[in-house]
Amino acid sequence: MRQPAGARGAHDAHDESARPSAAGPPRGSRPARPAPAVHPARHLLGRLAEQRATGALRGPAGTVYLVDGAVQHAESPCAPHLDVLLTACGKISPQAWEESVRAAAPAHRVGRYLVENGRLTRGELELCHLVALYDAAFFALSGGTGRDAAGLGEYGFEPGAVHWLGPVLPVPVPSLVRETERRGALLDRLSDWSRLDAAAVVPRPRPVGCRRLPTPGQRRLLEAADGRRTPADIARLLGRPAYATVLDVRRLAAAGLVAAPDRPAPPAPQRRSGAAAPGGAAPAAGASASRRGSVRARAEAAADSDPGVSLLIRIRNALEARL
Amino acid sequence: MPGMDECLSEAMAMPGALVAGLVDWTSGLALGALGGADPQEHEAAAADAAEVVRAVAESPTFTAAGPGAAGPEAPLEDVIVTSAAAYHLVRFVDTAFDSRLFLYVRLDRATANLALARMVLRDLAERLVLA
Repeated sequence: MRQPAGARGAHDAHDESARPSAAGPPRGSRPARPAPAVHPARHLLGRLAEQRATGALRGPAGTVYLVDGAVQHAESPCAPHLDVLLTACGKISPQAWEESVRAAAPAHRVGRYLVENGRLTRGELELCHLVALYDAAFFALSGGTGRDAAGLGEYGFEPGAVHWLGPVLPVPVPSLVRETERRGALLDRLSDWSRLDAAAVVPRPRPVGCRRLPTPGQRRLLEAADGRRTPADIARLLGRPAYATVLDVRRLAAAGLVAAPDRPAPPAPQRRSGAAAPGGAAPAAGASASRRGSVRARAEAAADSDPGVSLLIRIRNALEARL
Repeated sequence: MPGMDECLSEAMAMPGALVAGLVDWTSGLALGALGGADPQEHEAAAADAAEVVRAVAESPTFTAAGPGAAGPEAPLEDVIVTSAAAYHLVRFVDTAFDSRLFLYVRLDRATANLALARMVLRDLAERLVLA
């Protein structure tokens, strides 16, 4: 009994795609706002799965490839592709990658070629492929920004289009849609820091009394954060999945370990209120969020000199991040 | 060379194995899973295990290097939770590319051998990514 990706059999793709809205919120999460309507791209993908379609669903922020109604691959300009993940870490040289693509892309079997020629184990290919697929699909099925449901007119289906990577492990559409929604909900819990998603971030000194350590991956992220690179740049540079990078930047910001560089360093409180507040500058933030933001900025300014306030702010941030 | 499915099948062949999965702890996603009665059980187990793993991975107490170690931290290997009913084993999968993956297996305490299961899972995690 094989249950690929998301622990669902392929037959589920057919059963469930007829009612994509049945996919519930992620387990244990409490949506911060009323459940939004099903994203049009996810709805369309569900219908294509139902029809056991083969082809490419192209949208403003990426493409999802289907074979027989199951997801074969996904690509997005927002997320590093397989080649970036594998060459950035030195697993495969760029030359070897190009050679493999030249040799096997016309027959749509680059994945198999990499394994047959000893570049990757089958396990590595499968894992790297699934990681890249879910990463790209999150952006492709979220219209790039993650929250704004783009009109269906922006999506087009090209029947028969097949990706040159070839078959690896197919993912049932309901699993992919559920995971995309779950990833969106995880980001929503940290929505106060959404303006850092596209900001050139910089590390901040660890707050007094902070025992939480960045993981090795987060440390590489902090080292690459030079005030010029955005999270997407860092993801490409490090060969790191883009969703994990955006999520880590928000988590590190919540812990006080990263910030946007335009935020003035230990300054007079009145200069910091308003624009410098995390979340206050986010386009989606309403009036109450702005007010909350300026209070937040004043509090954080005070925290620079008072370890007690700093501790309270981190506790509040941690609570918000977990709600 | 095993792929993910063979790897999970081998994990399930251990005495007492109830559920086996490969999890991306970025979000708690089960990339693949075997065993169990209800498919939703895999999603719940993956999400729960990912929460524990993230807490461990971010705690200096658990990642501190011993005396004489080269780096500031010792790479994590396993997370083991035991209850009166079950053993829960997590083994980190060390891929060349940047990822946050682990193998997870739940074993029936009455029939499983914890020491053996730990070695089998370590071996599987290595063979999955070593050429």
